Amino acid sequence: MTFIDGLNKAFENKVRLGVMSILMANGAADFTTLKTLLEVTDGNLASHTRYLEEAGYIRCEKKFIGRKPNTLFSVTEAGRAAFTQHLQALENLLQLNK
Amino acid sequence: MERKEIEKTLTDIKEMMSKSSQFQAISGWSIVIVGLYACVAAVIAAGIIGLEIPFLHRDMGLAPLGIRITTAIVAALVLLVISSATVTIMAYAKAKRHHLPFGFDSRMRKMMFSFMIPMVAGGLLSLAMILQGHYGLTSSIMLIFYGLALVECQHYTYPAMRFLGYGEILLGLIDCFVVHQALLFWFLGFGVLHILFGILYIMLYEKKSR
Repeated sequence: MTFIDGLNKAFENKVRLGVMSILMANGAADFTTLKTLLEVTDGNLASHTRYLEEAGYIRCEKKFIGRKPNTLFSVTEAGRAAFTQHLQALENLLQLNK
Repeated sequence: MERKEIEKTLTDIKEMMSKSSQFQAISGWSIVIVGLYACVAAVIAAGIIGLEIPFLHRDMGLAPLGIRITTAIVAALVLLVISSATVTIMAYAKAKRHHLPFGFDSRMRKMMFSFMIPMVAGGLLSLAMILQGHYGLTSSIMLIFYGLALVECQHYTYPAMRFLGYGEILLGLIDCFVVHQALLFWFLGFGVLHILFGILYIMLYEKKSR
Protein backbone atom coordinates (compact mmCIF):
# COMPACT_ATOMS: atom_id res chain seq x y z
CA MET A 1 0.00 0.00 0.00
CA THR A 2 1.13 3.53 -0.65
CA PHE A 3 0.82 6.20 1.96
CA ILE A 4 0.70 9.94 1.50
CA ASP A 5 0.84 11.78 4.81
CA GLY A 6 -0.33 8.59 6.48
CA LEU A 7 -3.38 8.45 4.25
CA ASN A 8 -4.15 5.01 2.95
CA LYS A 9 -4.71 4.63 -0.80
CA ALA A 10 -7.05 1.73 -0.15
CA PHE A 11 -9.53 4.04 1.56
CA GLU A 12 -9.49 6.82 -0.97
CA ASN A 13 -12.32 5.27 -2.95
CA LYS A 14 -15.77 6.20 -1.65
CA VAL A 15 -17.16 2.68 -1.77
CA ARG A 16 -14.19 1.15 0.02
CA LEU A 17 -14.31 3.91 2.65
CA GLY A 18 -18.02 3.17 3.09
CA VAL A 19 -17.46 -0.57 3.43
CA MET A 20 -14.79 0.03 6.07
CA SER A 21 -16.97 2.54 7.99
CA ILE A 22 -19.85 0.07 8.12
CA LEU A 23 -17.66 -2.82 9.16
CA MET A 24 -15.87 -0.73 11.80
CA ALA A 25 -19.19 0.30 13.34
CA ASN A 26 -20.80 -3.15 13.20
CA GLY A 27 -17.95 -5.64 13.18
CA ALA A 28 -19.59 -7.52 10.34
CA ALA A 29 -22.22 -7.05 7.65
CA ASP A 30 -23.53 -9.13 4.78
CA PHE A 31 -23.35 -8.30 1.10
CA THR A 32 -26.97 -7.18 0.79
CA THR A 33 -26.73 -4.82 3.75
CA LEU A 34 -23.60 -3.22 2.29
CA LYS A 35 -25.24 -2.91 -1.09
CA THR A 36 -28.36 -1.21 0.28
CA LEU A 37 -26.42 1.20 2.47
CA LEU A 38 -23.89 2.19 -0.16
CA GLU A 39 -26.33 2.23 -3.08
CA VAL A 40 -23.99 0.46 -5.47
CA THR A 41 -24.35 -2.38 -7.93
CA ASP A 42 -23.38 -5.97 -7.18
CA GLY A 43 -20.40 -5.91 -9.49
CA ASN A 44 -19.07 -2.62 -8.20
CA LEU A 45 -19.32 -3.69 -4.59
CA ALA A 46 -17.80 -7.09 -5.31
CA SER A 47 -14.73 -5.58 -6.94
CA HIS A 48 -14.13 -3.25 -4.00
CA THR A 49 -14.63 -5.91 -1.36
CA ARG A 50 -12.20 -8.12 -3.29
CA TYR A 51 -9.67 -5.30 -3.22
CA LEU A 52 -10.04 -4.89 0.55
CA GLU A 53 -9.90 -8.63 1.07
CA GLU A 54 -6.69 -8.91 -0.92
CA ALA A 55 -5.23 -6.08 1.14
CA GLY A 56 -6.02 -8.16 4.22
CA TYR A 57 -8.34 -5.56 5.71
CA ILE A 58 -11.53 -7.56 5.60
CA ARG A 59 -12.35 -11.22 5.51
CA CYS A 60 -15.23 -12.83 3.76
CA GLU A 61 -17.20 -15.85 4.79
CA LYS A 62 -19.57 -17.54 2.39
CA LYS A 63 -22.35 -19.67 3.72
CA PHE A 64 -25.89 -20.70 3.00
CA ILE A 65 -28.92 -19.51 4.91
CA GLY A 66 -31.41 -22.15 3.90
CA ARG A 67 -30.86 -22.25 0.16
CA LYS A 68 -29.78 -18.66 -0.26
CA PRO A 69 -26.07 -17.93 -0.45
CA ASN A 70 -24.99 -15.33 2.05
CA THR A 71 -21.65 -13.56 2.11
CA LEU A 72 -20.64 -12.12 5.43
CA PHE A 73 -17.83 -9.59 5.60
CA SER A 74 -15.96 -8.72 8.76
CA VAL A 75 -13.07 -6.41 9.50
CA THR A 76 -9.66 -7.90 10.36
CA GLU A 77 -7.25 -6.63 13.02
CA ALA A 78 -5.05 -5.23 10.25
CA GLY A 79 -8.05 -3.49 8.72
CA ARG A 80 -9.05 -1.97 12.03
CA ALA A 81 -5.52 -0.65 12.58
CA ALA A 82 -5.22 0.69 9.03
CA PHE A 83 -8.57 2.44 9.18
CA THR A 84 -7.81 4.01 12.57
CA GLN A 85 -4.51 5.25 11.17
CA HIS A 86 -6.27 6.66 8.10
CA LEU A 87 -8.78 8.49 10.30
CA GLN A 88 -5.96 9.85 12.43
CA ALA A 89 -4.19 11.08 9.30
CA LEU A 90 -7.34 12.86 8.16
CA GLU A 91 -7.74 14.50 11.56
CA ASN A 92 -4.10 15.57 11.48
CA LEU A 93 -4.51 17.11 8.05
CA LEU A 94 -7.51 18.99 9.31
CA GLN A 95 -5.45 20.36 12.20
CA LEU A 96 -2.63 21.39 9.86
CA ASN A 97 -4.96 23.17 7.47
CA LYS A 98 -6.49 25.32 10.19
CA MET B 1 -6.49 17.16 0.01
CA GLU B 2 -8.40 20.32 0.65
CA ARG B 3 -9.91 21.13 3.99
CA LYS B 4 -13.46 20.93 2.67
CA GLU B 5 -12.81 17.57 1.14
CA ILE B 6 -11.38 16.19 4.39
CA GLU B 7 -14.32 17.47 6.38
CA LYS B 8 -16.73 15.94 3.90
CA THR B 9 -14.91 12.60 4.12
CA LEU B 10 -15.03 12.61 7.90
CA THR B 11 -18.76 13.44 8.02
CA ASP B 12 -19.41 10.76 5.40
CA ILE B 13 -17.65 8.21 7.58
CA LYS B 14 -19.58 9.25 10.69
CA GLU B 15 -22.88 9.23 8.81
CA MET B 16 -22.26 5.80 7.33
CA MET B 17 -21.27 4.44 10.74
CA SER B 18 -24.49 5.59 12.43
CA LYS B 19 -26.69 4.83 9.43
CA SER B 20 -25.45 1.25 9.45
CA SER B 21 -25.50 0.65 13.19
CA GLN B 22 -28.80 2.33 14.07
CA PHE B 23 -32.24 1.40 12.92
CA GLN B 24 -33.16 4.75 11.42
CA ALA B 25 -36.18 3.72 9.43
CA ILE B 26 -38.75 4.57 12.12
CA SER B 27 -40.77 7.47 10.79
CA GLY B 28 -41.40 10.50 12.99
CA TRP B 29 -44.87 10.92 11.56
CA SER B 30 -45.74 7.36 12.53
CA ILE B 31 -44.95 8.25 16.15
CA VAL B 32 -47.28 11.26 15.92
CA ILE B 33 -50.00 9.13 14.32
CA VAL B 34 -49.70 6.47 17.05
CA GLY B 35 -50.14 9.29 19.58
CA LEU B 36 -53.30 10.42 17.81
CA TYR B 37 -54.67 6.85 17.81
CA ALA B 38 -54.04 6.70 21.56
CA CYS B 39 -55.86 10.00 22.14
CA VAL B 40 -58.91 8.71 20.27
CA ALA B 41 -58.65 5.36 22.08
CA ALA B 42 -58.53 7.06 25.47
CA VAL B 43 -61.76 8.92 24.72
CA ILE B 44 -63.43 5.70 23.53
CA ALA B 45 -62.16 3.89 26.62
CA ALA B 46 -63.60 6.58 28.84
CA GLY B 47 -66.94 5.90 27.19
CA ILE B 48 -66.59 2.15 27.69
CA ILE B 49 -65.57 2.46 31.32
CA GLY B 50 -68.28 5.00 31.93
CA LEU B 51 -66.35 8.12 32.83
CA GLU B 52 -67.86 11.55 32.50
CA ILE B 53 -66.02 13.27 29.70
CA PRO B 54 -66.39 16.99 29.28
CA PHE B 55 -68.03 18.03 25.96
CA LEU B 56 -69.12 14.50 25.28
CA HIS B 57 -72.64 13.75 26.40
CA ARG B 58 -73.41 10.13 26.96
CA ASP B 59 -76.97 9.11 27.54
CA MET B 60 -76.89 5.36 26.91
CA GLY B 61 -76.84 3.09 29.88
CA LEU B 62 -73.72 1.17 30.89
CA ALA B 63 -73.23 -2.47 29.99
CA PRO B 64 -72.42 -4.96 32.76
CA LEU B 65 -68.89 -4.76 34.18
CA GLY B 66 -67.69 -8.03 32.63
CA ILE B 67 -68.65 -6.97 29.12
CA ARG B 68 -67.11 -3.54 29.59
CA ILE B 69 -63.80 -5.07 30.67
CA THR B 70 -63.74 -7.52 27.78
CA THR B 71 -64.52 -4.68 25.38
CA ALA B 72 -61.72 -2.57 26.87
CA ILE B 73 -59.19 -5.41 26.54
CA VAL B 74 -60.20 -6.13 22.96
CA ALA B 75 -60.05 -2.41 22.12
CA ALA B 76 -56.57 -2.17 23.66
CA LEU B 77 -55.36 -5.15 21.62
CA VAL B 78 -56.83 -3.72 18.43
CA LEU B 79 -55.05 -0.43 19.18
CA LEU B 80 -51.78 -2.29 19.72
CA VAL B 81 -52.09 -4.13 16.41
CA ILE B 82 -53.07 -1.01 14.44
CA SER B 83 -50.23 1.01 16.00
CA SER B 84 -47.60 -1.67 15.35
CA ALA B 85 -48.81 -2.05 11.78
CA THR B 86 -48.67 1.72 11.19
CA VAL B 87 -45.13 2.00 12.54
CA THR B 88 -43.96 -1.02 10.53
CA ILE B 89 -45.52 0.02 7.24
CA MET B 90 -44.29 3.59 7.53
CA ALA B 91 -40.81 2.38 8.52
CA TYR B 92 -40.75 0.15 5.46
CA ALA B 93 -41.72 3.08 3.24
CA LYS B 94 -39.06 5.30 4.80
CA ALA B 95 -36.41 2.62 4.38
CA LYS B 96 -37.30 2.33 0.70
CA ARG B 97 -37.16 6.08 0.24
CA HIS B 98 -33.83 6.66 1.98
CA HIS B 99 -32.05 3.42 1.05
CA LEU B 100 -31.90 2.22 4.62
CA PRO B 101 -31.55 -1.47 5.37
CA PHE B 102 -34.88 -3.00 6.35
CA GLY B 103 -34.81 -6.70 6.78
CA PHE B 104 -35.07 -9.24 9.49
CA ASP B 105 -31.31 -9.31 10.03
CA SER B 106 -29.44 -9.95 13.27
CA ARG B 107 -29.62 -6.31 14.37
CA MET B 108 -33.35 -6.12 13.80
CA ARG B 109 -33.84 -9.41 15.65
CA LYS B 110 -31.84 -8.14 18.63
CA MET B 111 -33.81 -4.90 18.68
CA MET B 112 -37.16 -6.65 18.48
CA PHE B 113 -36.07 -9.07 21.19
CA SER B 114 -35.01 -6.39 23.65
CA PHE B 115 -38.17 -4.42 22.91
CA MET B 116 -40.49 -7.40 23.23
CA ILE B 117 -39.27 -8.71 26.60
CA PRO B 118 -40.57 -5.78 28.68
CA MET B 119 -43.60 -5.46 26.39
CA VAL B 120 -44.71 -9.07 26.76
CA ALA B 121 -43.94 -9.18 30.49
CA GLY B 122 -45.79 -5.93 31.13
CA GLY B 123 -48.67 -6.88 28.85
CA LEU B 124 -49.24 -10.21 30.58
CA LEU B 125 -48.91 -8.63 34.01
CA SER B 126 -51.51 -5.97 33.27
CA LEU B 127 -53.81 -8.55 31.69
CA ALA B 128 -53.53 -10.74 34.80
CA MET B 129 -54.24 -7.78 37.05
CA ILE B 130 -57.33 -6.80 35.09
CA LEU B 131 -58.61 -10.39 35.12
CA GLN B 132 -58.14 -10.55 38.89
CA GLY B 133 -59.95 -7.29 39.39
CA HIS B 134 -57.02 -5.03 40.27
CA TYR B 135 -57.60 -2.24 37.79
CA GLY B 136 -55.95 0.56 39.69
CA LEU B 137 -52.36 0.12 38.54
CA THR B 138 -52.94 -1.13 35.00
CA SER B 139 -52.11 2.15 33.31
CA SER B 140 -48.94 2.61 35.41
CA ILE B 141 -47.76 -0.86 34.51
CA MET B 142 -48.41 -0.30 30.81
CA LEU B 143 -46.56 3.02 30.86
CA ILE B 144 -43.60 1.77 32.91
CA PHE B 145 -43.03 -1.41 30.91
CA TYR B 146 -43.47 0.41 27.59
CA GLY B 147 -40.93 2.96 28.80
CA LEU B 148 -38.52 0.19 29.77
CA ALA B 149 -38.93 -1.39 26.34
CA LEU B 150 -38.02 1.90 24.67
CA VAL B 151 -35.01 2.43 26.93
CA GLU B 152 -33.90 -1.12 26.10
CA CYS B 153 -33.80 -0.52 22.36
CA GLN B 154 -31.93 2.79 22.49
CA HIS B 155 -28.72 1.02 21.45
CA TYR B 156 -30.26 -0.13 18.22
CA THR B 157 -31.92 3.04 17.03
CA TYR B 158 -31.57 6.79 17.49
CA PRO B 159 -30.30 7.28 21.05
CA ALA B 160 -32.94 9.97 21.71
CA MET B 161 -35.53 7.18 21.78
CA ARG B 162 -34.60 6.67 25.43
CA PHE B 163 -36.02 10.08 26.36
CA LEU B 164 -39.46 8.95 25.25
CA GLY B 165 -38.83 5.89 27.43
CA TYR B 166 -37.81 7.97 30.45
CA GLY B 167 -40.90 10.13 29.96
CA GLU B 168 -43.21 7.11 29.89
CA ILE B 169 -41.58 5.60 32.99
CA LEU B 170 -41.83 8.88 34.88
CA LEU B 171 -45.52 9.29 34.01
CA GLY B 172 -46.14 5.68 35.00
CA LEU B 173 -44.48 6.19 38.36
CA ILE B 174 -46.42 9.36 39.10
CA ASP B 175 -49.56 7.51 38.03
CA CYS B 176 -48.88 4.85 40.70
CA PHE B 177 -49.38 7.40 43.42
CA VAL B 178 -52.34 9.22 41.96
CA VAL B 179 -55.68 7.52 42.48
CA HIS B 180 -58.52 7.49 39.94
CA GLN B 181 -56.69 9.30 37.16
CA ALA B 182 -55.46 6.22 35.32
CA LEU B 183 -56.99 7.11 31.98
CA LEU B 184 -55.70 10.66 32.14
CA PHE B 185 -52.13 9.39 32.58
CA TRP B 186 -52.65 6.81 29.88
CA PHE B 187 -53.86 9.62 27.59
CA LEU B 188 -50.84 11.77 28.48
CA GLY B 189 -48.31 8.95 28.14
CA PHE B 190 -49.46 7.16 25.03
CA GLY B 191 -51.16 10.10 23.37
CA VAL B 192 -49.65 13.48 24.18
CA LEU B 193 -46.09 12.28 24.83
CA HIS B 194 -45.99 10.38 21.52
CA ILE B 195 -47.20 13.40 19.59
CA LEU B 196 -44.68 15.72 21.26
CA PHE B 197 -41.81 13.27 20.88
CA GLY B 198 -42.78 12.56 17.28
CA ILE B 199 -42.54 16.25 16.42
CA LEU B 200 -39.17 16.47 18.21
CA TYR B 201 -37.99 13.38 16.33
CA ILE B 202 -38.98 14.89 12.98
CA MET B 203 -37.13 18.11 13.81
CA LEU B 204 -34.03 16.31 15.09
CA TYR B 205 -33.59 13.56 12.54
CA GLU B 206 -35.80 14.06 9.56
CA LYS B 207 -35.74 17.77 8.77
CA LYS B 208 -32.09 17.97 7.78
CA SER B 209 -32.09 14.90 5.57
CA ARG B 210 -34.46 16.52 3.11
